Amino acid sequence: MSDVLIAARGLGKAYPKVHRNSDRLRSLGRLLVGARDRDRISVLRDVNLDVVRGESLGLVGENGAGKSTLLKLITGVLTPTTGTVEVRGTIGALLELGAGFHPEYTGRDNIAMSAALYGLDGARLRERIPEIIEFADIGDYIDEPVKHYSSGMVVRLGFAVVASLRPDILVTDEVLAVGDESFQKKCVRWIEDYLAEGGTLLLVSHSMYHVQKLCKHACWLRGGEIAMSGDVFDVTQAYLAYHERKTTAQLESAELSRSGHEFAVTDITLNGVDSAQPLMIEHGADLRVAVGLRSRDGRVPSLAIGLVRADGTPVYGVSSDMDGHVLRPAGPGEYRGEIEFPGLSLLPGSYAIRVHSMDPEGVRLFDTVERGLVVRGASREFGLVRLAHRWIGEGAPPPAADADA
Amino acid sequence: MSVARLTLRFFRRELKNRFAGSFTGGLWALVQPLIQLAVYSFVFVYVLKARIPGADAPGYVPFLVTALWPWIAFSEAITRSATAVQDNAALIGKVSLPREVLVVATVATSFAVHLTGYVAIVVALALAGKGIDVAGLIPAILLFVPLFALALGFALIAASVQVFVRDLSQALPQLFMLLQFAAPIFYDASQTGALARWLALNPFTFYADAFHALLLHHGEVGLARLAIALAVAAIVLFVGHRVFRRLDPHFEDFL
Repeated sequence: MSDVLIAARGLGKAYPKVHRNSDRLRSLGRLLVGARDRDRISVLRDVNLDVVRGESLGLVGENGAGKSTLLKLITGVLTPTTGTVEVRGTIGALLELGAGFHPEYTGRDNIAMSAALYGLDGARLRERIPEIIEFADIGDYIDEPVKHYSSGMVVRLGFAVVASLRPDILVTDEVLAVGDESFQKKCVRWIEDYLAEGGTLLLVSHSMYHVQKLCKHACWLRGGEIAMSGDVFDVTQAYLAYHERKTTAQLESAELSRSGHEFAVTDITLNGVDSAQPLMIEHGADLRVAVGLRSRDGRVPSLAIGLVRADGTPVYGVSSDMDGHVLRPAGPGEYRGEIEFPGLSLLPGSYAIRVHSMDPEGVRLFDTVERGLVVRGASREFGLVRLAHRWIGEGAPPPAADADA
Repeated sequence: MSVARLTLRFFRRELKNRFAGSFTGGLWALVQPLIQLAVYSFVFVYVLKARIPGADAPGYVPFLVTALWPWIAFSEAITRSATAVQDNAALIGKVSLPREVLVVATVATSFAVHLTGYVAIVVALALAGKGIDVAGLIPAILLFVPLFALALGFALIAASVQVFVRDLSQALPQLFMLLQFAAPIFYDASQTGALARWLALNPFTFYADAFHALLLHHGEVGLARLAIALAVAAIVLFVGHRVFRRLDPHFEDFL
């Protein structure tokens, strides 16, 4: 099983800075005498990566994180600045939405050229062409120049060529994002078959759905370095949480400064832990939130608790006065409220718990404190919470299906 | 796939591309130099009454034809190749391939097109009784081999440098215009007097003289000059290949 197809060691790529035309000339001079360029923008640093046969690895990361650069280094389109990458086996690659088609030539000519570049020529190519055309399914456009194609058609054709080659390693960069629904399904089905037959996949996608569906492992690139790699669910959840936090961080700084502290939140513990760090719990575990409150005028405050997704989308909110619950005093002007959510049904992801102190009538809001909550687990269900459900009417199980919980 | 087969495929595509969309197709390859020849004949023979000095000197038109055609092949191969890498940026950015192939295919296309035209017009002139020795055609065709090597060497340099310095493809046609008139194509070297030895610095001068000698028995080129020319072609090809190889890993950064 340790059949390593791709081995990258300390892989890095830096681009020269070419703001002015004289920079290009200077670079040329330095390269000709064999020196390195000094001014460089590093886009990828010290990447170590092993991909074994049968692996399916998703690459996730923000725009400009270096995903495409990494793929280009692996496919040999780019030469690494530092480190090495060794590839064993044939690569079929769809980089940046195309297979290097020439706009002036027809789809048919481009298929021939593209296949020839991958080493398929002569009789073997003629055999495959009908199969490629059928897979691409772009009708009469096959005999039109590629410049008249829509971006979706280009990808269809590119994917069809690569699919027909059945490479040892399939490298795709945001290919699924362009095709329409039915072509996406066709591609996904094809990739699943390909993986089932022992193929190896490197997938770049901004669709976590596709990454989770097709990949066993994932690798998160941030600012040119590997931020995290491992099981696909762990990595994609961490990546999404990072994004959600990024969005809220921008919104929040505006909201901070408006709390007249007649009723203040003094402390929060989540499942007994008093820490500013987000609490990690398993999907379906119990959640207990304990809050300390202070009242300046001695009236009993009410306590509101809200669960929001990390981007601020509300999931659930409830307050003590709604439920007719009166907080327990814990000293002069101090009160404690505690609430438990047994078997929390939030789906895996990143959330926040917001605790608000309110006046006794539950009308005015005085103070807000927030804590992060990360729900972990492997689930492909959609949405925020698992709703109680059951399937009705059981058929005969297919021969090799796993029983799912 | 072998590099040779890939080159052949690009060569065929290039050839097809040159004539795709033009009504006359491959005929255009012959028509274009013919028009050029007609213009030069009119200006030099009819208007300027140019002639090659000497008692048994060849006619001006055969003299012009025998060196002009190889020159067109040579200069066009290099000027076209200058953008061979740049024009294929989209391909280079997506598929890993030996990029020399793009340059070789472009040079080969120019030579194939113009060598064909050359043979056709030399045979036609011989049949018209213009004093052409058809027996010299075989060594003349062989002479295209070092000329090809020389062109390929320069083309590899031009194509790789063009990626970094985009002015090159603008400057090359001007440079070649200069070199065209700095070679004994439109005149005989003997007419330049003291400047004749400066003419010898032009790498094409040997070829112009050699074609004149082989096909028109006009002048002579010794074995020593042939040896130098072969050495120059080999060195230029070697250097061109080295430069291309050195710059190749950085093409993507500058395209």
